Amino acid sequence: METGKNQSLFNGRPIKILLAKPGIDGHDRGILVLAKAFRDAGMEVIYVGLLPTPEEVVDTAVNEDVDVIALSLLNGAHMTVFKKVADLMKARNINDIAVVGGGTIPEADKPKLEKMGISGNYGPGTPISKIVEHITERAAEMRKLKSMEE
Amino acid sequence: MILLKLDELIQGIINGDRRSVSRAISIVENEQVSINAKKIVKEIFANTGRAHIVGITGPPGIGKSTMIGNLSAMLSGTGRKVSVVAIDASSPFSGGSLLGNRIRMQDSLTRHGVFMRSLANRGLKGGLSRSIWDTVKILDASGSDIIIVETVGAGQADLDVVNLAETIVMVLGPGLGDEIQAIKAGIMEIGNLFVINKMDLPGAFIAQKDIEETLAMSPKGVWKPPVVGVNSLTREGYEDLIREIDRHGKFVKKSSDLAFRKFRAELEITIDEELRSRFYEEIRAFLSDNEKIRNLMEKKTDPYSAAENLINSLA
Ligand code: B12
Ligand SMILES: Nc1nc2c(ncn2[C@@H]2O[C@H](COP(=O)(O)OP(=O)(O)OP(=O)(O)O)[C@@H](O)[C@H]2O)c(=O)[nH]1
Ligand SMILES: [Mg+2]
Repeated sequence: METGKNQSLFNGRPIKILLAKPGIDGHDRGILVLAKAFRDAGMEVIYVGLLPTPEEVVDTAVNEDVDVIALSLLNGAHMTVFKKVADLMKARNINDIAVVGGGTIPEADKPKLEKMGISGNYGPGTPISKIVEHITERAAEMRKLKSMEE
Repeated sequence: MILLKLDELIQGIINGDRRSVSRAISIVENEQVSINAKKIVKEIFANTGRAHIVGITGPPGIGKSTMIGNLSAMLSGTGRKVSVVAIDASSPFSGGSLLGNRIRMQDSLTRHGVFMRSLANRGLKGGLSRSIWDTVKILDASGSDIIIVETVGAGQADLDVVNLAETIVMVLGPGLGDEIQAIKAGIMEIGNLFVINKMDLPGAFIAQKDIEETLAMSPKGVWKPPVVGVNSLTREGYEDLIREIDRHGKFVKKSSDLAFRKFRAELEITIDEELRSRFYEEIRAFLSDNEKIRNLMEKKTDPYSAAENLINSLA
Protein backbone atom coordinates (compact mmCIF):
# COMPACT_ATOMS: atom_id res chain seq x y z
CA MET A 1 0.00 0.00 0.00
CA GLU A 2 1.23 3.46 -0.75
CA THR A 3 1.02 4.79 2.72
CA GLY A 4 2.44 8.20 3.30
CA LYS A 5 1.89 9.31 -0.25
CA ASN A 6 1.02 12.98 -0.47
CA GLN A 7 1.06 13.22 3.27
CA SER A 8 2.79 16.57 3.30
CA LEU A 9 -0.23 17.99 1.53
CA PHE A 10 -1.76 17.94 4.99
CA ASN A 11 1.38 18.81 6.86
CA GLY A 12 1.86 15.33 8.25
CA ARG A 13 -0.12 13.79 11.04
CA PRO A 14 0.14 15.32 14.48
CA ILE A 15 0.84 12.91 17.32
CA LYS A 16 -2.39 12.06 19.12
CA ILE A 17 -2.15 11.45 22.85
CA LEU A 18 -4.57 10.53 25.64
CA LEU A 19 -3.72 11.87 29.10
CA ALA A 20 -5.34 9.92 31.90
CA LYS A 21 -5.36 9.72 35.66
CA PRO A 22 -6.66 6.23 36.19
CA GLY A 23 -7.63 6.43 39.82
CA ILE A 24 -8.78 8.58 42.67
CA ASP A 25 -6.02 11.15 42.60
CA GLY A 26 -6.74 14.85 42.82
CA HIS A 27 -3.23 15.91 41.85
CA ASP A 28 -4.02 17.27 38.44
CA ARG A 29 -1.59 20.16 38.19
CA GLY A 30 1.13 18.10 36.56
CA ILE A 31 -1.14 16.53 33.96
CA LEU A 32 -2.64 19.90 33.06
CA VAL A 33 0.85 21.35 32.63
CA LEU A 34 1.69 18.44 30.36
CA ALA A 35 -1.53 18.80 28.33
CA LYS A 36 -0.65 22.38 27.42
CA ALA A 37 3.00 21.52 26.80
CA PHE A 38 2.02 18.70 24.43
CA ARG A 39 -0.36 20.94 22.53
CA ASP A 40 2.36 23.56 22.21
CA ALA A 41 4.65 20.85 20.88
CA GLY A 42 2.10 20.30 18.09
CA MET A 43 0.26 17.27 19.46
CA GLU A 44 -3.47 16.60 19.51
CA VAL A 45 -4.23 16.10 23.17
CA ILE A 46 -7.20 14.51 24.90
CA TYR A 47 -7.59 14.92 28.62
CA VAL A 48 -10.76 13.57 30.17
CA GLY A 49 -10.14 14.09 33.86
CA LEU A 50 -10.31 11.03 36.02
CA LEU A 51 -10.82 7.82 34.13
CA PRO A 52 -11.55 5.45 36.96
CA THR A 53 -11.22 2.10 35.26
CA PRO A 54 -8.49 0.69 33.03
CA GLU A 55 -11.28 -0.40 30.65
CA GLU A 56 -12.30 3.20 30.23
CA VAL A 57 -8.73 4.24 29.50
CA VAL A 58 -8.23 1.54 26.90
CA ASP A 59 -11.66 1.99 25.28
CA THR A 60 -11.08 5.70 24.95
CA ALA A 61 -7.61 5.18 23.51
CA VAL A 62 -9.01 2.76 20.91
CA ASN A 63 -11.97 4.93 19.90
CA GLU A 64 -9.74 7.96 19.56
CA ASP A 65 -6.99 5.89 17.92
CA VAL A 66 -4.24 7.66 19.84
CA ASP A 67 -0.55 6.93 19.44
CA VAL A 68 0.27 7.23 23.13
CA ILE A 69 -1.52 6.83 26.45
CA ALA A 70 0.13 8.97 29.15
CA LEU A 71 -0.73 7.79 32.66
CA SER A 72 -0.14 10.08 35.61
CA LEU A 73 -0.47 9.16 39.27
CA LEU A 74 0.86 10.90 42.34
CA ASN A 75 -1.06 8.80 44.83
CA GLY A 76 1.27 5.82 44.97
CA ALA A 77 -1.12 3.39 43.26
CA HIS A 78 0.85 3.16 40.01
CA MET A 79 2.11 -0.39 40.50
CA THR A 80 -1.40 -1.81 40.56
CA VAL A 81 -3.21 0.62 38.28
CA PHE A 82 -0.61 1.06 35.52
CA LYS A 83 -0.25 -2.71 35.46
CA LYS A 84 -3.97 -3.17 34.93
CA VAL A 85 -3.87 -0.91 31.90
CA ALA A 86 -0.86 -2.78 30.49
CA ASP A 87 -2.53 -6.16 31.11
CA LEU A 88 -5.71 -5.08 29.40
CA MET A 89 -3.81 -3.84 26.37
CA LYS A 90 -2.11 -7.19 26.14
CA ALA A 91 -5.38 -9.09 26.57
CA ARG A 92 -6.92 -7.10 23.73
CA ASN A 93 -3.91 -7.57 21.52
CA ILE A 94 -3.24 -3.86 21.19
CA ASN A 95 0.41 -3.19 20.55
CA ASP A 96 0.34 -0.09 18.40
CA ILE A 97 -0.51 2.28 21.22
CA ALA A 98 2.37 3.14 23.55
CA VAL A 99 1.89 3.48 27.30
CA VAL A 100 4.01 6.09 29.06
CA GLY A 101 3.90 6.73 32.80
CA GLY A 102 4.78 9.48 35.23
CA GLY A 103 4.14 11.04 38.63
CA THR A 104 5.61 10.12 42.00
CA ILE A 105 7.25 6.86 41.04
CA PRO A 106 10.11 5.56 43.21
CA GLU A 107 13.31 4.55 41.40
CA ALA A 108 12.84 0.94 42.47
CA ASP A 109 9.54 0.68 40.59
CA LYS A 110 10.82 1.98 37.28
CA PRO A 111 12.44 -1.22 35.96
CA LYS A 112 9.30 -3.17 36.88
CA LEU A 113 7.13 -0.75 34.96
CA GLU A 114 9.51 -0.86 32.01
CA LYS A 115 9.13 -4.61 31.97
CA MET A 116 5.37 -4.21 31.63
CA GLY A 117 6.03 -2.02 28.61
CA ILE A 118 5.39 1.25 30.41
CA SER A 119 8.20 3.64 29.62
CA GLY A 120 9.21 7.10 30.79
CA ASN A 121 8.01 7.06 34.41
CA TYR A 122 9.26 10.57 34.98
CA GLY A 123 8.80 12.27 38.32
CA PRO A 124 8.73 15.76 39.78
CA GLY A 125 11.23 18.18 38.31
CA THR A 126 11.66 16.43 34.97
CA PRO A 127 12.17 19.04 32.25
CA ILE A 128 9.18 19.17 29.90
CA SER A 129 11.47 19.00 26.88
CA LYS A 130 12.74 15.61 27.98
CA ILE A 131 9.17 14.31 28.34
CA VAL A 132 8.12 15.68 24.93
CA GLU A 133 11.17 14.06 23.37
CA HIS A 134 10.34 10.69 24.89
CA ILE A 135 6.68 10.86 23.80
CA THR A 136 7.73 11.81 20.28
CA GLU A 137 10.05 8.81 20.08
CA ARG A 138 7.42 6.38 21.31
CA ALA A 139 4.81 7.83 18.95
CA ALA A 140 7.17 7.39 16.02
CA GLU A 141 7.60 3.70 16.90
CA MET A 142 3.83 3.28 16.97
CA ARG A 143 3.38 5.03 13.65
CA LYS A 144 5.78 2.57 12.11
CA LEU A 145 3.70 -0.34 13.36
CA LYS A 146 0.49 1.28 12.18
CA SER A 147 1.69 1.92 8.66
CA MET A 148 2.78 -1.72 8.42
CA GLU A 149 -0.77 -2.74 9.19
CA GLU A 150 -2.33 -0.80 6.39
CA MET B 1 0.37 -7.70 16.12
CA ILE B 2 -2.93 -7.91 14.31
CA LEU B 3 -2.33 -7.37 10.65
CA LEU B 4 -5.29 -5.37 9.53
CA LYS B 5 -5.53 -5.57 5.79
CA LEU B 6 -7.58 -2.94 4.08
CA ASP B 7 -10.22 -5.41 2.95
CA GLU B 8 -10.59 -6.72 6.47
CA LEU B 9 -10.80 -3.17 7.70
CA ILE B 10 -13.62 -2.41 5.29
CA GLN B 11 -15.48 -5.56 6.29
CA GLY B 12 -14.90 -4.57 9.92
CA ILE B 13 -16.53 -1.20 9.33
CA ILE B 14 -19.60 -2.81 7.81
CA ASN B 15 -19.76 -5.23 10.75
CA GLY B 16 -19.58 -2.31 13.17
CA ASP B 17 -16.26 -3.36 14.69
CA ARG B 18 -14.94 -0.52 16.85
CA ARG B 19 -11.28 -0.89 16.09
CA SER B 20 -11.85 -1.05 12.36
CA VAL B 21 -14.05 2.04 12.50
CA SER B 22 -11.52 3.88 14.59
CA ARG B 23 -8.51 2.99 12.44
CA ALA B 24 -10.42 3.81 9.26
CA ILE B 25 -11.18 7.27 10.62
CA SER B 26 -7.46 7.78 11.21
CA ILE B 27 -6.74 6.81 7.64
CA VAL B 28 -9.24 9.26 6.15
CA GLU B 29 -8.26 11.85 8.70
CA ASN B 30 -4.58 11.73 8.14
CA GLU B 31 -4.18 10.82 4.53
CA GLN B 32 -7.14 12.44 2.91
CA VAL B 33 -5.98 11.95 -0.62
CA SER B 34 -4.29 8.62 -0.13
CA ILE B 35 -5.30 5.60 -2.13
CA ASN B 36 -6.25 3.83 1.10
CA ALA B 37 -8.62 6.59 2.16
CA LYS B 38 -10.29 6.68 -1.22
CA LYS B 39 -10.63 2.94 -1.35
CA ILE B 40 -12.36 2.85 2.01
CA VAL B 41 -14.86 5.52 1.04
CA LYS B 42 -15.53 4.00 -2.37
CA GLU B 43 -16.21 0.58 -0.92
CA ILE B 44 -18.43 1.62 1.95
CA PHE B 45 -20.38 4.23 0.03
CA ALA B 46 -23.19 1.85 -0.87
CA ASN B 47 -23.75 1.24 2.84
CA THR B 48 -24.18 4.91 3.70
CA GLY B 49 -27.27 7.11 3.78
CA ARG B 50 -29.18 5.36 6.54
CA ALA B 51 -28.10 7.35 9.61
CA HIS B 52 -29.66 10.61 10.67
CA ILE B 53 -26.87 13.21 10.76
CA VAL B 54 -27.42 15.88 13.37
CA GLY B 55 -25.14 18.92 13.71
CA ILE B 56 -24.93 20.71 17.04
CA THR B 57 -23.68 24.25 16.69
CA GLY B 58 -23.61 27.43 18.75
CA PRO B 59 -21.26 29.80 20.56
CA PRO B 60 -18.37 28.59 22.73
CA GLY B 61 -19.28 27.35 26.19
CA ILE B 62 -23.04 27.30 25.54
CA GLY B 63 -23.30 23.62 26.49
CA LYS B 64 -23.02 21.71 23.22
CA SER B 65 -20.87 18.88 24.58
CA THR B 66 -22.95 18.52 27.73
CA MET B 67 -26.04 18.31 25.54
CA ILE B 68 -24.51 15.63 23.33
CA GLY B 69 -23.69 13.61 26.45
CA ASN B 70 -27.34 13.77 27.51
CA LEU B 71 -28.64 13.01 24.03
CA SER B 72 -26.28 10.02 23.66
CA ALA B 73 -27.44 8.59 26.95
CA MET B 74 -31.15 9.08 26.29
CA LEU B 75 -31.08 7.93 22.66
CA SER B 76 -28.98 4.87 23.49
CA GLY B 77 -31.46 4.16 26.26
CA THR B 78 -34.18 3.69 23.63
CA GLY B 79 -32.02 1.19 21.77
CA ARG B 80 -30.61 3.40 19.06
CA LYS B 81 -26.98 3.20 17.99
CA VAL B 82 -25.50 6.63 18.54
CA SER B 83 -22.12 7.86 17.29
CA VAL B 84 -20.53 11.19 18.10
CA VAL B 85 -17.85 13.31 16.44
CA ALA B 86 -16.71 16.55 18.03
CA ILE B 87 -14.38 19.07 16.46
CA ASP B 88 -11.98 21.39 18.22
CA ALA B 89 -9.79 24.12 16.80
CA SER B 90 -6.11 23.48 16.18
CA SER B 91 -3.68 26.04 17.51
CA PRO B 92 -2.54 28.24 14.63
CA PHE B 93 0.86 28.50 16.31
CA SER B 94 1.84 24.93 17.06
CA GLY B 95 -0.71 23.00 14.99
CA GLY B 96 -1.51 21.10 18.18
CA SER B 97 -4.89 20.99 19.84
CA LEU B 98 -6.57 20.40 23.17
CA LEU B 99 -9.50 18.19 22.31
CA GLY B 100 -11.73 19.20 25.21
CA ASN B 101 -15.23 18.16 24.19
CA ARG B 102 -14.97 14.59 25.37
CA ILE B 103 -14.57 15.48 29.03
CA ARG B 104 -18.16 16.79 29.18
CA MET B 105 -19.68 13.60 27.81
CA GLN B 106 -17.35 10.90 29.06
CA ASP B 107 -19.72 9.51 31.70
CA SER B 108 -22.58 9.01 29.26
CA LEU B 109 -20.30 7.57 26.62
CA THR B 110 -18.87 5.01 29.00
CA ARG B 111 -22.16 4.05 30.55
CA HIS B 112 -23.83 3.46 27.20
CA GLY B 113 -20.88 2.31 25.14
CA VAL B 114 -21.22 5.15 22.65
CA PHE B 115 -18.49 5.56 20.04
CA MET B 116 -17.08 9.06 20.13
CA ARG B 117 -14.24 10.58 18.19
CA SER B 118 -12.51 13.94 18.74
CA LEU B 119 -11.13 15.64 15.65
CA ALA B 120 -8.99 18.74 15.31
CA ASN B 121 -9.96 21.13 12.54
CA ARG B 122 -6.33 21.37 11.37
CA GLY B 123 -6.82 24.95 10.36
CA LEU B 124 -10.00 24.50 8.31
CA LYS B 125 -12.34 27.47 8.71
CA GLY B 126 -16.08 27.02 8.93
CA GLY B 127 -16.44 24.96 12.08
CA LEU B 128 -15.60 21.53 10.67
CA SER B 129 -12.54 19.50 9.75
CA ARG B 130 -11.87 18.36 6.20
CA SER B 131 -12.10 14.72 7.17
CA ILE B 132 -15.53 15.02 8.76
CA TRP B 133 -17.40 14.04 5.60
CA ASP B 134 -15.54 10.76 5.30
CA THR B 135 -15.64 10.19 9.05
CA VAL B 136 -19.42 10.48 9.03
CA LYS B 137 -19.63 8.04 6.11
CA ILE B 138 -17.61 5.48 8.04
CA LEU B 139 -19.87 5.85 11.08
CA ASP B 140 -22.94 5.66 8.85
CA ALA B 141 -21.74 2.49 7.13
CA SER B 142 -20.93 0.94 10.51
CA GLY B 143 -24.63 0.88 11.35
CA SER B 144 -25.21 4.07 13.32
CA ASP B 145 -28.82 5.18 13.63
CA ILE B 146 -27.86 8.71 14.53
CA ILE B 147 -24.57 10.58 14.17
CA ILE B 148 -24.15 13.71 16.24
CA VAL B 149 -21.52 16.23 15.15
CA GLU B 150 -20.34 19.07 17.38
CA THR B 151 -18.87 22.00 15.47
CA VAL B 152 -15.94 24.05 16.70
CA GLY B 153 -18.10 26.63 18.40
CA ALA B 154 -16.75 29.70 16.73
CA GLY B 155 -20.33 30.92 16.55
CA GLN B 156 -20.77 33.02 13.48
CA ALA B 157 -18.32 31.20 11.26
CA ASP B 158 -19.72 27.70 11.75
CA LEU B 159 -21.62 27.66 8.52
CA ASP B 160 -20.13 24.62 6.81
CA VAL B 161 -22.29 22.33 8.89
CA VAL B 162 -25.19 22.99 6.49
CA ASN B 163 -23.31 20.96 3.91
CA LEU B 164 -22.85 18.05 6.27
CA ALA B 165 -25.77 17.66 8.64
CA GLU B 166 -29.40 16.93 7.85
CA THR B 167 -30.67 18.50 11.03
CA ILE B 168 -28.95 21.54 12.49
CA VAL B 169 -29.53 22.26 16.14
CA MET B 170 -28.51 25.80 17.04
CA VAL B 171 -27.81 26.03 20.75
CA LEU B 172 -28.20 29.41 22.42
CA GLY B 173 -28.65 30.57 25.97
CA PRO B 174 -28.81 33.43 28.41
CA GLY B 175 -26.00 35.92 28.79
CA LEU B 176 -24.77 35.91 25.23
CA GLY B 177 -24.83 39.69 25.02
CA ASP B 178 -23.80 41.07 21.66
CA GLU B 179 -23.13 37.65 20.31
CA ILE B 180 -26.83 36.92 20.10
CA GLN B 181 -27.36 40.06 18.04
CA ALA B 182 -24.70 38.90 15.60
CA ILE B 183 -26.26 35.47 15.41
CA LYS B 184 -29.69 36.94 14.85
CA ALA B 185 -28.33 39.13 12.08
CA GLY B 186 -26.38 36.38 10.41
CA ILE B 187 -26.88 32.72 10.91
CA MET B 188 -30.41 32.24 12.21
CA GLU B 189 -31.45 30.72 8.89
CA ILE B 190 -29.16 27.72 9.23
CA GLY B 191 -30.92 26.39 12.35
CA ASN B 192 -33.67 23.80 11.89
CA LEU B 193 -34.15 23.71 15.63
CA PHE B 194 -33.30 26.25 18.28
CA VAL B 195 -32.41 25.21 21.78
CA ILE B 196 -32.18 27.61 24.67
CA ASN B 197 -29.85 25.83 27.05
CA LYS B 198 -29.21 26.73 30.70
CA MET B 199 -32.88 27.40 31.42
CA ASP B 200 -31.89 27.25 35.11
CA LEU B 201 -30.05 30.56 34.78
CA PRO B 202 -31.57 34.05 34.89
CA GLY B 203 -32.20 35.57 31.50
CA ALA B 204 -33.00 32.26 29.81
CA PHE B 205 -36.69 33.04 29.35
CA ILE B 206 -35.85 36.41 27.87
CA ALA B 207 -33.43 34.74 25.46
CA GLN B 208 -36.13 32.26 24.48
CA LYS B 209 -38.69 35.02 23.84
CA ASP B 210 -36.09 36.95 21.87
CA ILE B 211 -35.39 34.00 19.56
CA GLU B 212 -39.08 33.18 19.16
CA GLU B 213 -39.78 36.75 18.12
CA THR B 214 -36.88 36.83 15.69
CA LEU B 215 -38.11 33.60 14.12
CA ALA B 216 -41.64 34.93 13.88
CA MET B 217 -40.33 37.81 11.79
CA SER B 218 -38.21 35.62 9.52
CA PRO B 219 -39.39 34.43 6.13
CA LYS B 220 -41.24 31.14 6.52
CA GLY B 221 -40.53 27.94 4.69
CA VAL B 222 -42.29 24.59 4.88
CA TRP B 223 -40.41 23.75 8.07
CA LYS B 224 -41.01 26.09 10.99
CA PRO B 225 -38.01 25.88 13.33
CA PRO B 226 -39.22 25.12 16.85
CA VAL B 227 -37.64 26.64 19.96
CA VAL B 228 -37.01 24.30 22.88
CA GLY B 229 -35.80 25.32 26.32
CA VAL B 230 -33.67 22.81 28.23
CA ASN B 231 -31.64 22.49 31.38
CA SER B 232 -28.72 20.23 30.60
CA LEU B 233 -27.82 19.71 34.22
CA THR B 234 -31.20 18.06 34.99
CA ARG B 235 -32.22 16.98 31.46
CA GLU B 236 -35.39 18.99 31.78
CA GLY B 237 -36.88 19.61 28.31
CA TYR B 238 -34.95 16.78 26.65
CA GLU B 239 -38.05 14.74 25.74
CA ASP B 240 -39.24 17.70 23.71
CA LEU B 241 -35.81 18.18 22.18
CA ILE B 242 -35.56 14.56 21.07
CA ARG B 243 -39.09 14.61 19.70
CA GLU B 244 -38.27 17.66 17.58
CA ILE B 245 -34.97 16.19 16.35
CA ASP B 246 -36.80 13.04 15.26
CA ARG B 247 -39.60 15.03 13.67
CA HIS B 248 -37.11 17.02 11.62
CA GLY B 249 -35.23 13.82 10.75
CA LYS B 250 -38.40 12.37 9.24
CA PHE B 251 -39.14 15.63 7.44
CA VAL B 252 -35.69 15.90 5.95
CA LYS B 253 -35.34 12.32 4.77
CA LYS B 254 -38.23 13.07 2.43
CA SER B 255 -36.52 16.15 1.00
CA SER B 256 -34.37 15.37 -2.01
CA ASP B 257 -33.38 19.05 -2.20
CA LEU B 258 -31.18 18.81 0.85
CA ALA B 259 -29.57 15.57 -0.25
CA PHE B 260 -28.85 17.15 -3.62
CA ARG B 261 -27.33 20.28 -2.10
CA LYS B 262 -25.14 18.28 0.24
CA PHE B 263 -24.00 15.99 -2.53
CA ARG B 264 -23.05 18.90 -4.75
CA ALA B 265 -21.18 20.72 -1.95
CA GLU B 266 -19.15 17.66 -1.18
CA LEU B 267 -18.44 17.05 -4.82
CA GLU B 268 -17.11 20.58 -5.11
CA ILE B 269 -14.69 20.12 -2.23
CA THR B 270 -13.57 16.77 -3.55
CA ILE B 271 -12.93 17.98 -7.07
CA ASP B 272 -10.89 20.84 -5.68
CA GLU B 273 -8.83 18.44 -3.67
CA GLU B 274 -8.45 15.92 -6.45
CA LEU B 275 -7.13 18.66 -8.71
CA ARG B 276 -4.60 19.80 -6.18
CA SER B 277 -3.40 16.34 -5.37
CA ARG B 278 -3.28 15.27 -9.02
CA PHE B 279 -0.57 17.82 -9.76
CA TYR B 280 0.93 17.88 -6.32
CA GLU B 281 4.18 16.11 -7.09
CA GLU B 282 4.79 18.02 -10.31
CA ILE B 283 4.22 21.32 -8.53
CA ARG B 284 6.56 20.29 -5.69
CA ALA B 285 9.20 19.23 -8.18
CA PHE B 286 8.84 22.48 -10.07
CA LEU B 287 9.14 24.56 -6.91
CA SER B 288 12.23 22.73 -5.75
CA ASP B 289 14.06 23.19 -9.05
CA ASN B 290 16.17 26.13 -7.93
CA GLU B 291 17.78 26.69 -11.27
CA LYS B 292 14.50 26.91 -13.12
CA ILE B 293 13.01 29.27 -10.56
CA ARG B 294 16.08 31.48 -10.58
CA ASN B 295 15.94 31.58 -14.33
CA LEU B 296 12.32 32.74 -14.27
CA MET B 297 13.22 35.39 -11.74
CA GLU B 298 16.18 36.66 -13.70
CA LYS B 299 14.15 36.82 -16.87
CA LYS B 300 11.60 38.85 -14.88
CA THR B 301 8.78 36.45 -15.66
CA ASP B 302 5.63 37.53 -13.84
CA PRO B 303 4.12 34.93 -11.49
CA TYR B 304 0.84 34.62 -13.43
CA SER B 305 2.59 33.71 -16.64
CA ALA B 306 4.91 31.30 -14.85
CA ALA B 307 2.00 29.56 -13.14
CA GLU B 308 -0.05 29.43 -16.35
CA ASN B 309 2.86 27.92 -18.25
CA LEU B 310 3.38 25.29 -15.60
CA ILE B 311 -0.26 24.27 -15.44
CA ASN B 312 -0.59 24.24 -19.24
CA SER B 313 2.40 21.96 -19.46
CA LEU B 314 0.80 19.54 -16.97
CA ALA B 315 -2.81 19.45 -18.08
C1 B12 C 1 0.50 20.37 45.16
C2 B12 C 1 0.29 19.08 45.94
C3 B12 C 1 -0.98 18.79 46.39
C4 B12 C 1 -2.18 19.67 46.03
C5 B12 C 1 -2.68 19.24 44.63
C6 B12 C 1 -3.28 20.38 43.81
C7 B12 C 1 -3.61 19.94 42.42
N1 B12 C 1 -4.78 20.29 41.96
O1 B12 C 1 -2.84 19.29 41.74
C8 B12 C 1 -3.15 19.28 47.19
C9 B12 C 1 -2.92 20.24 48.34
C10 B12 C 1 -4.64 19.27 46.80
C11 B12 C 1 -2.64 17.91 47.58
C12 B12 C 1 -3.37 16.99 48.27
C13 B12 C 1 -2.91 15.76 48.70
N2 B12 C 1 -1.63 15.31 48.60
CO1 B12 C 1 -0.26 16.21 47.59
N3 B12 C 1 1.21 17.06 46.84
C14 B12 C 1 1.37 18.19 46.18
C15 B12 C 1 2.87 18.40 45.87
C16 B12 C 1 3.43 19.33 46.90
C17 B12 C 1 3.20 18.96 44.49
C18 B12 C 1 2.50 18.29 43.30
C19 B12 C 1 2.48 19.20 42.10
O2 B12 C 1 1.48 19.79 41.75
N4 B12 C 1 3.64 19.38 41.45
C20 B12 C 1 3.80 20.24 40.30
C21 B12 C 1 3.53 19.43 39.01
C22 B12 C 1 3.75 20.31 37.77
O3 B12 C 1 4.45 18.37 38.96
P1 B12 C 1 4.04 16.84 38.96
O4 B12 C 1 2.61 16.65 39.23
O5 B12 C 1 5.02 16.08 39.74
O6 B12 C 1 4.25 16.47 37.41
C23 B12 C 1 5.52 16.49 36.84
C24 B12 C 1 6.23 15.14 36.86
O7 B12 C 1 5.86 14.34 37.93
C25 B12 C 1 5.91 14.53 35.55
N5 B12 C 1 4.71 13.74 35.37
C26 B12 C 1 3.58 13.71 36.07
N6 B12 C 1 2.69 12.90 35.50
C27 B12 C 1 3.25 12.39 34.40
C28 B12 C 1 2.78 11.51 33.44
C29 B12 C 1 3.60 11.14 32.38
C30 B12 C 1 3.09 10.20 31.36
C31 B12 C 1 4.90 11.67 32.29
C32 B12 C 1 5.77 11.27 31.18
C33 B12 C 1 5.36 12.56 33.25
C34 B12 C 1 4.55 12.91 34.30
O8 B12 C 1 5.82 15.64 34.70
C35 B12 C 1 5.32 16.79 35.38
C36 B12 C 1 6.05 17.98 34.89
O9 B12 C 1 7.42 17.88 35.17
C37 B12 C 1 3.41 16.94 46.01
C38 B12 C 1 4.86 16.81 46.45
C39 B12 C 1 5.77 16.90 45.26
N7 B12 C 1 6.76 17.72 45.40
O10 B12 C 1 5.57 16.23 44.25
C40 B12 C 1 2.46 16.35 47.07
C41 B12 C 1 2.19 14.87 47.11
C42 B12 C 1 2.02 14.35 45.68
N8 B12 C 1 0.91 14.79 47.82
C43 B12 C 1 0.85 13.74 48.61
C44 B12 C 1 -0.28 13.42 49.41
C45 B12 C 1 -0.12 12.24 50.34
C46 B12 C 1 -1.46 14.18 49.35
C47 B12 C 1 -2.75 13.90 50.12
C48 B12 C 1 -3.17 12.43 50.15
C49 B12 C 1 -2.76 14.39 51.53
C50 B12 C 1 -1.59 15.20 51.88
N9 B12 C 1 -0.73 14.59 52.64
O11 B12 C 1 -1.53 16.36 51.54
C51 B12 C 1 -3.79 14.77 49.39
C52 B12 C 1 -4.57 13.91 48.41
C53 B12 C 1 -5.35 14.73 47.38
C54 B12 C 1 -6.21 13.89 46.47
N10 B12 C 1 -7.52 14.08 46.46
O12 B12 C 1 -5.73 13.05 45.76
C55 B12 C 1 2.13 12.92 48.57
C56 B12 C 1 1.94 11.61 47.80
C57 B12 C 1 2.66 10.47 48.46
C58 B12 C 1 2.68 9.20 47.66
N11 B12 C 1 2.75 9.20 46.36
O13 B12 C 1 2.69 8.17 48.27
C59 B12 C 1 3.14 13.95 47.97
C60 B12 C 1 4.27 13.26 47.12
C61 B12 C 1 3.74 14.74 49.11
C62 B12 C 1 4.57 13.86 50.03
N12 B12 C 1 5.88 13.84 49.86
O14 B12 C 1 4.03 13.23 50.90
N13 B12 C 1 -1.35 17.73 47.18
N1 LIG D 1 -26.13 26.14 34.60
C1 LIG D 1 -25.99 25.37 33.52
N2 LIG D 1 -24.75 25.10 33.06
C2 LIG D 1 -24.63 24.31 31.98
C3 LIG D 1 -25.75 23.78 31.30
N3 LIG D 1 -25.30 23.05 30.26
C4 LIG D 1 -23.95 23.13 30.28
N4 LIG D 1 -23.54 23.89 31.32
C5 LIG D 1 -22.15 24.22 31.67
O1 LIG D 1 -21.60 25.06 30.68
C6 LIG D 1 -20.19 24.84 30.56
C7 LIG D 1 -19.78 24.59 29.13
O2 LIG D 1 -20.38 23.40 28.68
P1 LIG D 1 -19.87 22.62 27.40
O3 LIG D 1 -20.80 21.48 27.21
O4 LIG D 1 -18.43 22.34 27.48
O5 LIG D 1 -20.11 23.73 26.29
P2 LIG D 1 -19.68 23.70 24.74
O6 LIG D 1 -20.67 24.51 24.02
O7 LIG D 1 -19.50 22.30 24.30
O8 LIG D 1 -18.28 24.44 24.81
P3 LIG D 1 -17.14 24.50 23.66
O9 LIG D 1 -17.03 23.16 23.04
O10 LIG D 1 -15.94 24.90 24.42
O11 LIG D 1 -17.59 25.54 22.69
C8 LIG D 1 -19.88 23.65 31.48
O12 LIG D 1 -19.37 24.16 32.67
C9 LIG D 1 -21.23 23.02 31.70
O13 LIG D 1 -21.33 22.33 32.92
C10 LIG D 1 -27.06 24.09 31.81
O14 LIG D 1 -28.09 23.68 31.29
N5 LIG D 1 -27.11 24.88 32.92
MG1 LIG E 1 -17.83 21.41 23.44
